[in-house]
Amino acid sequence: MRFRISAGALVVVAMMWLTAKTTADQQTGGASAAKPAATTTAKPAAAAPAKPGAKPYRAPRTPDGQPDLGGFWSNATYTPLERAQNINKEYYTEEEFKKVVADARNRDEEQTTPGTTADVHYDFTQFGLDKSQHTIAQNLRTSQIVDPPDGRLPPQVPAAAARAQAAAAERKQQGGQYDKVQNMPTGSRCIIMGGAGPPLRDAGYNSTYHIVQGQGAVMVLTEMIHDARIIPLDNRPAPAAGLKQWVGMSRGRWEGDTLVVETTNFNGRNPIGGGRGGAPSSDQAKVTERFTRISDDQIEYKFTVEDPQTWTRPWTAVNYLQKTNGPIFEFACHESNIGVSGILGGARADEKRAAEAKSGSK
Amino acid sequence: MTRRTALIAAVVGIALLGVGSVAWAHHAFAAEFDVNKPVKFEGKLVKWDMVNPHSWFHMDIKGERWMIEGGSPNQLIRQGVTKNTIKIGTTLIVEGYLAKDGTMKAVGRNFILADGSRLFLGGSAPGQQLK
Repeated sequence: MRFRISAGALVVVAMMWLTAKTTADQQTGGASAAKPAATTTAKPAAAAPAKPGAKPYRAPRTPDGQPDLGGFWSNATYTPLERAQNINKEYYTEEEFKKVVADARNRDEEQTTPGTTADVHYDFTQFGLDKSQHTIAQNLRTSQIVDPPDGRLPPQVPAAAARAQAAAAERKQQGGQYDKVQNMPTGSRCIIMGGAGPPLRDAGYNSTYHIVQGQGAVMVLTEMIHDARIIPLDNRPAPAAGLKQWVGMSRGRWEGDTLVVETTNFNGRNPIGGGRGGAPSSDQAKVTERFTRISDDQIEYKFTVEDPQTWTRPWTAVNYLQKTNGPIFEFACHESNIGVSGILGGARADEKRAAEAKSGSK
Repeated sequence: MTRRTALIAAVVGIALLGVGSVAWAHHAFAAEFDVNKPVKFEGKLVKWDMVNPHSWFHMDIKGERWMIEGGSPNQLIRQGVTKNTIKIGTTLIVEGYLAKDGTMKAVGRNFILADGSRLFLGGSAPGQQLK
């Protein structure tokens, strides 16, 4: 951002935290002049500690009697996967959460310094991509990870570091990141974004999912970049071990009103955990997701990752899917991925300039 | 406009640490565009490609056709923005950086309308009413 934060903007921030549903329904009539769209329709805090004796919510049903999870849902969140080092409790107070949101919002507003690489970018806010313009479930948790109880990823096993080193050595052998398109990150190449899942992880922006239920199967479409995961519910046998997919292979079943989805057969190249040096999970990972509709507007999304080739113990996290509006504009990432050729062209231009400078200095 | 003059020390410090608003991106913009070639254009919009992973503004700038890279349109579309939201022929001032490869492309760091107001397609961004 190029502009300073004003008191007015902070008032908007203060209003924003009250809203579980923010601005996605707002329609704009002009290119620049619409009003800030914060509303004050506060919704129950999805992730506050449960109130004893509260009557359980009963989800609506599909025509064939399944709990209805269908529709468009956002998992954008201000809650980090791992608890910050200086936080030692499971929930913020509402006042503390207000400050968390305000701080995050202020970061989105920060000006970058002209002439720095951070400034070489479009402005997220001009395209509605900052979180203040997304549908977000209010979530007082200090981390998505609920187990281990410290809210942080468990330690990695030695095999994870060895795997990361081997991958780094292989990358080095292949040359520089921009030597050829195959060396570029999978997200930049429109193959898959890290965190596309399973498990479903907040993508940073465009964090929307479309769930479609049919008899015997559920489909989860990930907005960014494009993955449509088909989850059979017909008790078919586990897939053969040799079949490996970016998003693994899923099998689902109902446990009461909770859709339980177990996924194996990952190709090991789609990082689950992130962080911790970015060591990706292995192809031995198993992810168990639990989707439970807890209100008309929210699904509790709980997942457990077991990957003995990466972490010393399983870990479990909770996030919330907040109902939003659709449809999702087809991402069609590859067709217009001009950036890839621009980056490779830029690298060749850099090399040419460097060669010219070298020959000129002789 | 408070263009490039309103930086405060704390913000500079955070930006230098790389935790500003541009910390997350689909691809490495600094690899595609040249940090040493800042540019400020004024021209007329010819076409807006609302495509992923990033939209492109085609502009007529002093008789030349340039392409300016912007953000993904998906969230804007959710908010009701269409390709007609900015009229063809609209004058835009673009601050950004030129492509490294020498083609007539740039990243649009900042889109500004002729009256000096910032282009906020979604209409609800923080700072919108600040000029």
